[in-house]
Amino acid sequence: MIRYILRRLLWVVFLLFAVSFITFVIFYLLPSADPAALRAGRQPNPELVATIRRQLGLDQPWYVQYGRYMKNLIFHFDFGFSYQNGVPVRQLIFSRLPASISLAAGAAVLWLVVGIGVGIIAAVRPRTKLDRASMGMALVGISAPVYWLGLVALYLFSSDIGLIPILPGANSYVPLSEDPFAWFTSLIMPWCVLAVSFAAFYSRLLRGNLTEVLSEDYIRTARAKGLSERRVVFRHGLRSAITPIVTIFGLDLGILLGGAILTETVFNIPGIGRLSYSSIVRSDLPVIQGTVLLGAFFIVFANLFVDIFYAFLDPRVRYE
Amino acid sequence: MSFNFGSKTNRPKAGKEGTPMKSIRVCSAALVALMLSLAVAACGSSGSSSDSSSKVGAVPAEQSLTGKTGGALTVLASSDVDYIDPGAAYYQFTFMVTGATQRSLFSFGPDDAVDPVPDLATEAADVASDGKTVTVKIKPNVKFSPPVNRVATSSDVKYAIERAFLPTVANGYAGAYFGDIIGVAEFQDGKAKDISGIATPDATTIVFNLSRGTGGVVAGALALPISAPVPKEYAAKFDAKNPSTYGVNQVATGPYMIEADAKGALTGYEPGKKINLVRNPNWDRATDFRKAYLDTINIEEGNDDTTVASRQILKGNAQVNGDFGPPPPVLKQIVSSTPDQLALTPSGGLRYVSLNTTLAPFDNLNVRKAVLAVFDREAMRATRGGSLLGPIANHFIPPAMGGFDEAGGLNGTGVDFLKYPSGNLALAKEYMKKGGFPSGMYTGGKELLMVGTSGGAAQKASEVAAAQLEKLGFKPKLRLVTQDSMYTKFCNVPKAKVIICPNVGWLKDFSDPQTILDPTFNGKNIVEVNNSNWPQLNDAAVNSAMDKAEVVVGADARNKAWANIDRQITALAPAVPWIWDDTANIRSTDVAGVINKFNSNWDLSFTSLK
Amino acid sequence: MSALLTVNDLKVSFDTEDGVVHAVEGVSYEVEPGKTLGIVGESGSGKTVGTLTIMGLTRAANTTISGQAIFAGEDLLTASEQQMRAIRGDEIAMIFQDPLSSLHPFFTIGAQLVEAIQVHNDVSKSAARSRSAELLTMVGLSDARDRLSSYPHEFSGGMRQRVMIAMALANEPRLLIADEPTTALDVTVQAQILELIADLQAQTGTAMIIITHDLGVVAEVADEIAVMYAGRIVEQAAVGELFANPQHPYTRGLLASIPRLDRDRSSGLDPIAGRPPSLIAPPSGCAFHPRCPRAFDRCPAELPPLEPAAAGSEHLVACLLGAAERSEKQ
Repeated sequence: MIRYILRRLLWVVFLLFAVSFITFVIFYLLPSADPAALRAGRQPNPELVATIRRQLGLDQPWYVQYGRYMKNLIFHFDFGFSYQNGVPVRQLIFSRLPASISLAAGAAVLWLVVGIGVGIIAAVRPRTKLDRASMGMALVGISAPVYWLGLVALYLFSSDIGLIPILPGANSYVPLSEDPFAWFTSLIMPWCVLAVSFAAFYSRLLRGNLTEVLSEDYIRTARAKGLSERRVVFRHGLRSAITPIVTIFGLDLGILLGGAILTETVFNIPGIGRLSYSSIVRSDLPVIQGTVLLGAFFIVFANLFVDIFYAFLDPRVRYE
Repeated sequence: MSFNFGSKTNRPKAGKEGTPMKSIRVCSAALVALMLSLAVAACGSSGSSSDSSSKVGAVPAEQSLTGKTGGALTVLASSDVDYIDPGAAYYQFTFMVTGATQRSLFSFGPDDAVDPVPDLATEAADVASDGKTVTVKIKPNVKFSPPVNRVATSSDVKYAIERAFLPTVANGYAGAYFGDIIGVAEFQDGKAKDISGIATPDATTIVFNLSRGTGGVVAGALALPISAPVPKEYAAKFDAKNPSTYGVNQVATGPYMIEADAKGALTGYEPGKKINLVRNPNWDRATDFRKAYLDTINIEEGNDDTTVASRQILKGNAQVNGDFGPPPPVLKQIVSSTPDQLALTPSGGLRYVSLNTTLAPFDNLNVRKAVLAVFDREAMRATRGGSLLGPIANHFIPPAMGGFDEAGGLNGTGVDFLKYPSGNLALAKEYMKKGGFPSGMYTGGKELLMVGTSGGAAQKASEVAAAQLEKLGFKPKLRLVTQDSMYTKFCNVPKAKVIICPNVGWLKDFSDPQTILDPTFNGKNIVEVNNSNWPQLNDAAVNSAMDKAEVVVGADARNKAWANIDRQITALAPAVPWIWDDTANIRSTDVAGVINKFNSNWDLSFTSLK
Repeated sequence: MSALLTVNDLKVSFDTEDGVVHAVEGVSYEVEPGKTLGIVGESGSGKTVGTLTIMGLTRAANTTISGQAIFAGEDLLTASEQQMRAIRGDEIAMIFQDPLSSLHPFFTIGAQLVEAIQVHNDVSKSAARSRSAELLTMVGLSDARDRLSSYPHEFSGGMRQRVMIAMALANEPRLLIADEPTTALDVTVQAQILELIADLQAQTGTAMIIITHDLGVVAEVADEIAVMYAGRIVEQAAVGELFANPQHPYTRGLLASIPRLDRDRSSGLDPIAGRPPSLIAPPSGCAFHPRCPRAFDRCPAELPPLEPAAAGSEHLVACLLGAAERSEKQ
């Protein structure tokens, strides 16, 4: 197991290298803005443009630039400076991370509870009205675009522009460290909006899994032992049905930690998603690199954790 | 300035500046043309600043300059400032901040869009009659915010201008307006430690020695934040970094400062999140014309959905808008239900579709005229929300600027090809025939590269523009990219050989018409990178007229000279002007909003809570 | 001696989207304490559904059940779910066909055994573990204590079935239902498991129903055999009688398909032609008639009753052929 983890970690490092490399190359191949020109101002003389290019390191071949970037990153954990505002990218990312974590973690709790709850109810009452109604709603939830859902929520429930003004709306995010209560209330709507499609998807997935598991031979064995139906479903059924969900959950959470762009945008939550979006719009390569690497980091580590955790969940899986 | 022009914020950048002609001598000339009160305010000749503030021009009914002291104002913005460093700032929204935190030599009171008032300066700049020397006297009692805490001197202004030429700061307009100062080239090459042409004979006097007689322009540009003092002993270590980190360690001279810790590092600025302004403890009301009613100002950024943000302001959850205007549907609703929450101000800018005059088929004057004649500019304007957002442009100098009336005002210069706002196909065909296309239709067959901005109103405008060209048989090949990319990789780069740039435009830096026409149509301003003469117009007559007009002294004479240039340019049909933008600003009902008419944005130093 | 389990005219049908599945169509039998009943039939003959119904494991909204299943004086078909839970695993236990899929893959053997014990006995976990180890030893697994923390996939098929047997016997049931207990196992292991079941039954005195499609299996352990076809018992007799004197053409077919050492190899096996009938729309009359080599004009028209093969005989058969014709060699 230890050897397996070590090998996977090596693979993670390789993947992150590959991701950083690809981002770099894409940025050079696609028509994005010229950062030196953005800084050079009106009618600059060519020497000024050349100087700025040199200072940003843009006069070097791309592989030299890439090498320098990686060197600073590896030896100094330095992501460079934003072309846009000269602020260190590391500082930008770490100031944005708490918001993204708050949003992703809260929504994850919500969609797990709701998704699993609804999935179980639907699975143990197959083909009933309750089952059909909840699965129908779930289908709607999966199809609803997050941005649209966010706007609807704002116009319905936000305390400033909503019809039923009960919850803080857009631009109300407060860091947890400043005011935990305000943090919580400001995130209720974003959590719900972000969680809807996930909850819907998870409930449908769990219903499918659990229905299948409940027809397994070992469930019949459990019933034949005289176990209560509750114990059969929760201990024996859910234990198996939830395993694939853990895998997907790990990946979903990893992706969201790298930024939930649409939800962050509609509610103006200053997270990684908004940062990466604005950096792409402004061709701010160091910030793009930083956010892409962060996102990749979360995803590959989520993957690794899921695989390791899977071995604990399913004893048949053993890594050599 | 151009770079955020027509961005999703719908908000052009504009310089906050007075005409370059503000010598005492010029003032007397201005008296003839302008109302007395305006002229006095503009010249602000002498006396304490509190005096000059009381003289600020006629207050329109909706703007009251007296207000209640205290309270916090929330400003909603969708994006960040361009540069937090006042030495690099070149964007209307950023000027909203620098106007409250920095005292440049001259500034604008809220109700005068044309003439600046002395701010750090004690009186109007003295421009020598040959235009080669500009002398400014400085107040002896304006102090920097902590941790610097000392009085600002002429050396601090000198350093502020010097650092603007450092590549680590990379000011966008220093070269255009201060490039004639003697010794700039040596300083930029690193051969000189300072700019020899800026002299500081004493702590309250600064003298600019120029190689050409462009003193009028230099004096005018001193109302941009570039002239706000920067303490060298404090800032030099930050300016040595690449890029300079003075922006996030800046000190203030205005009534407000960006919240900072004891060492001066900003704590109230998080890029893309917020800018928090608090009172500057070292600001002395007696030295300033600003009212500074508010205690704190919180600019909250990242409100990308401008519909939601506009409604939040209208309902009172926030007080005023920052870098965005209300989207057309919201605007219509405000006009019909709560018009008093809306302020429409001429932006001092225009938008046009530029035609590359160096490449076929638009190297042919008659073909260009045909394009202007056929264009349905009403349809173009409709993409932005129609007549509410400003009049259809018929030439290039925008309204509320010197030279506008002289160039023909709203009606235009009289050329027939700009007579029909909805276009005139018959006339266009006539011009095509004159241009060598006997059928009246373009028969070249070649696809014409057209690069526009993707998304929103800009994309719609570029699509409408393409449709206009097709009416004459042109085959535009429309390529849509991000706005930054459209400028820096295509339209600003002559080598990219773009034939049509449908999403360009220009804003005044200050109300001198030179700031509109020179960067955009002067042949000598065609450069390889960041070119803003998009049609690459290089007409000998226009160029020489501009050379002469640059050193003309006196507002009337200058306005007349540049208006004639406007007529010349318009006759050459290098671009299709289609709107002189008005800027729409909104406020909540609990705020007594004051618009700074010069940069058509809320003036944080005069706005108060009710 | 009175019967431990008396099944009377048991009928089970399921409503499905394709139609009503008539899985069991009126089955009656008795099981006496300490005795073994073998139920033989092809898959889909209703042999498994019938016993699951007795266990209360087929109850669902779409299931229709009628008849009686009297166990120790109580009708299992009408007992409450709570009563059934108390009986399942305690009074009546089951062993299933595929021990791999019948054991939960994520729980240790120990956990699954302990659970089976604790659900019916108020004992501590450690006591339950000790009992589990004893049970594993009883079914012939060495190092029983260590094995408790193993997972099912770490065992061989035979070992897993021994675990299933141990689990079934954990609470000393009065009736053991073994559903195809050897089908999924290697041939060599099959014999060992059958021997084990027989031994344990002898030791504990439990009654047993063994369900199989393989007459060879029941021959070794059963006292009496019921042959099922399409949800009905078509022949029922003591094991010796049935093998010596099969009456129903279907039974004869089954016997002919058993490989036997005493038969000429060249004659080969004699599988029954055709496919098992649909339970949604079973053939009219005798359900076996489409496959029956002896079918005649009455067969599609009349449903043969299950009657003594000869007057007063304990050997029952449901066939329209006369007694003489039935005994004829084909």
